[in-house]
Amino acid sequence: MDLIDNLILGFSTASTLWNLFFCLIGVLLGTLIGVLPGIGATATIAMLLPITFQIGDPVAALIMLAGVYYGAQYGGSTTAILINMPGESSSAVTAVDGYQMARKGRAGAALATAAIGSFFAGTVATFLIALFAPPLTAIALKFGAAEYVSLMIVGLVSAVVLAHGSVIKALGMVVLGLLLGLVGTDVISGAPRFILGIREYADGLNFVAVAVGVFGIAEILRNLENEHERSVLIRNVQGLMPTREDFRRMTAPILRGTVLGSVLGILPGAGAILAAFASYTVEKRVSRHPEEFGKGALEGVAGPESANNAGAQTSFIPMLTLGLPTNPVMALMSGAMIIQGIVPGPNVASEQPALFWGIIASMWIGNLLLIVLNLPLIGLWVKLLTVPYYILFPIIMAFCSIGIYSVNSNVYDLYLVAFFGILGYALMKLRCEPAPLLLGFVLGPLLEENLRRAMILSKGDPTTFVTRPISAGLLALAAAVLVIVFLPAIGKKRAEVFVEEGA
Amino acid sequence: MKKLLAALAAATMLALTSGAQAQTYPDRTITMVVPFSAGGPTDTVTRLVAEAMSRDLGQQIVVENVGGAGGTLGAARVAKADPDGYTLLLYHIGMATSATLYRKLPYNTLEAFDYVGLVTDVPMTIVARKDFEPGDLQSLLDYVKANKDKVTLANAGIGAASHLCGMMFMSAIQTPLVTVPYKGTGPAMTDLLGGQVDIMCDQTTNTTKQIKAGTIKAYAVTSAKRLDVLSDLPTAEEAGIAGFQVGIWHGVYAPKGTPTEITERLSKSLQLALKDPNVVARFAELGTAPATEAEATPAALKAKLESEIARWKPVIDAAGQYAD
Amino acid sequence: MKIIHIDTTNGLCGALFVVLGLFFAYQSWMMDMGTALRMGPGYFPLLLAGILLLLGIIVLIQATRVASEPIGPLAWRGMLLILPAPIFFGLTVRGLGFLPAIFITALIASFASMRMKPITALILSAGVTLFSYLVFSRGLSLPYRPFGPWLGF
Repeated sequence: MDLIDNLILGFSTASTLWNLFFCLIGVLLGTLIGVLPGIGATATIAMLLPITFQIGDPVAALIMLAGVYYGAQYGGSTTAILINMPGESSSAVTAVDGYQMARKGRAGAALATAAIGSFFAGTVATFLIALFAPPLTAIALKFGAAEYVSLMIVGLVSAVVLAHGSVIKALGMVVLGLLLGLVGTDVISGAPRFILGIREYADGLNFVAVAVGVFGIAEILRNLENEHERSVLIRNVQGLMPTREDFRRMTAPILRGTVLGSVLGILPGAGAILAAFASYTVEKRVSRHPEEFGKGALEGVAGPESANNAGAQTSFIPMLTLGLPTNPVMALMSGAMIIQGIVPGPNVASEQPALFWGIIASMWIGNLLLIVLNLPLIGLWVKLLTVPYYILFPIIMAFCSIGIYSVNSNVYDLYLVAFFGILGYALMKLRCEPAPLLLGFVLGPLLEENLRRAMILSKGDPTTFVTRPISAGLLALAAAVLVIVFLPAIGKKRAEVFVEEGA
Repeated sequence: MKKLLAALAAATMLALTSGAQAQTYPDRTITMVVPFSAGGPTDTVTRLVAEAMSRDLGQQIVVENVGGAGGTLGAARVAKADPDGYTLLLYHIGMATSATLYRKLPYNTLEAFDYVGLVTDVPMTIVARKDFEPGDLQSLLDYVKANKDKVTLANAGIGAASHLCGMMFMSAIQTPLVTVPYKGTGPAMTDLLGGQVDIMCDQTTNTTKQIKAGTIKAYAVTSAKRLDVLSDLPTAEEAGIAGFQVGIWHGVYAPKGTPTEITERLSKSLQLALKDPNVVARFAELGTAPATEAEATPAALKAKLESEIARWKPVIDAAGQYAD
Repeated sequence: MKIIHIDTTNGLCGALFVVLGLFFAYQSWMMDMGTALRMGPGYFPLLLAGILLLLGIIVLIQATRVASEPIGPLAWRGMLLILPAPIFFGLTVRGLGFLPAIFITALIASFASMRMKPITALILSAGVTLFSYLVFSRGLSLPYRPFGPWLGF
């Protein structure tokens, strides 16, 4: 059988000592750089890219780079959990409950859950790629502008579910995020918007700067409010490993997250973040303890982490089968392939089978190395939390500054860190949550662009959203989510509000 | 105040040492700014050339990505840098078109730079979704003219190669089409592969692999001669659009006031780099060829920039869409 | 006449939404609207700004009815020292060079905490600088000079 032959070819390529070595180096470097605060997957890969050019062998170089990617992804989740600093859009969801778990002394369990979920999702997604890459690509290509609009609407509807406080404020945060996402040059007309004459913002606001500001800096400031009370982030660290009960609770979310992530990851643009948010929504909906969400629910880490890792993996599909980089990280990968003398395109699988299947096999090996490497490291990361906070945050500030500056060598990105730090702090004080804002920020430009593009392509016919089957299906799904979320909840919500008011 | 003093002291030192510098140039790491983010086609070209040039110069050339505003932020950075030969810029055709597309550039394109040389001129291809009706360029032209309200033309956003080529195409055939802008080549190509849009004109860097795999239909290349990698594909000139030639040319620049010895030295090094077998092979895979020795000179780049600014100005003004 | 009591947290939140909504609405108003079929750059943001404004007003109305958690103390010292630290780095990394810039950045941020002693701050900043030099300059060869032209290099 072809598939078996291909997998054998892949694993024999990826498991030579030479390639294993580069896979390990990649995973290790990716984790170590990615775990520095304010340095997410994109920045990590951009920084490590030149190193891979020194390796003459394209297979080894790409295997190492893929390893860097998983390592950086995992490192980013680690900082999201430990210090509330998501380095990439998809780990913003992990930060919500992961950080709360860490504050309760359960950082070890949160990190282990993230590692286990990522490994499982990575394994499944790898085999999905091996089995179904071509048909999955065909589905991705069916997604035109109208389908994207409907998908974004599903995403936005679920963002509201994310809120654990006032729904009105959560809506406000989504809308503000959408508006902030529109800052920069309008793609359709070329008109600059909301940049106040600052050309440096013509390409939009830097995501990492915004995320570090509203999550990380705001959190640092909050910790500086009342220094007499505590000096370390957490006092008591409970067991490093998840308990039997934890394992029981994480199983279903990991499975569901993996499915969502694998499906949405193929879609260009915001697949991984949508998958993470969608998974969070699902988990909160099906959970018997929805009130725990936002306060350190294990399911809120397990589901989204699996989803974003599966998504990260399947986002390789369009690149491997079509040569299309669907996100900034894949753009870096395709650049690296070109430098190595392989132009990504539809024929890579037939022209370079060893390389193609070798990379796929190395994805699984990389995920395996990652979990072997990281489970023992959890103890070390958790120790980090017992370092006095006043020692930790100057270090955080220094690394954020380097990480954010290095991407575009632009001081205006650092102005953003300060601006969004203060905005994030204000919002935190006003009891508004940052996660819906970030979702809006990522989806804003995609939603508007595709809405307008859909109208252009349909020659101004708005029925395009319901006459195209996939789009219509997604809209129906959005409506269903809305009904499920709001109908039974209205009575309950009122009651909750009264409880809060009385308190 | 302290900063100012330090800056003054530094400037004096630079002035004192710059005379001696030329003989020993280069004696430290050179920075080559690429005004786009890492991983894109221009970044790739820059890294290949920088690596080959470092070997000749005996000093490392590090590539710094200063992306934003269609490349003009990176160009502005280099325009303001010390003209000592340690900060260089590799920028493509955008250097010429941004002079018209942006009405408020912080530098004067023709005044702010010295020239090192041309690097390469990447040809473009006119392509369509694979089930698009017309069989060749002539029937495409007839079809487009008959259905100008229906045919959709994709581009990767204002100032992108596909946007420029699209404008030139519409101006050459005297027919305005429904343009559909995307943010970057990736999404535009995705929709072309998925059949969501009809036609596009894009660099061979992005299209060659797809054309060869038969996932998109190709009508013509926009270069003067046919390409080795796509030898069946006629030039636009042959196939029926007289004078239609568009290439995404790349050049290396230095800040204005860089000593001539240094730009000459860099130009020599660039010429050598462009003969490097690795560079030649990689360029060929991308469907392009290195600039010739005569083109990789300061004079040739200066002439190219001047003629291209003049050539694109009327096309852009006629389209009436600006980026600021 | 009953005096209307406005809850501080929700009142400020509503006001913030309203102000931001007005800002975006005003800016969008200056742009081309287009039509629903061929939307201009101002169409979608104006719609969103309108929604934000509306949500702000709802929050304001709620503020007159219910009390929520108080705002609590503010980290003035933190804001004063944490926020300028990254900006300082960005402004000086080219002029002063990578090492002095990162050292002073860490030093500024250190003093945001009252608990920090000057000696600890110096040692900490030196440690961060050394680590960053080894990792970013030597290991990853980021294109920043260790010492910049302002210092005569």
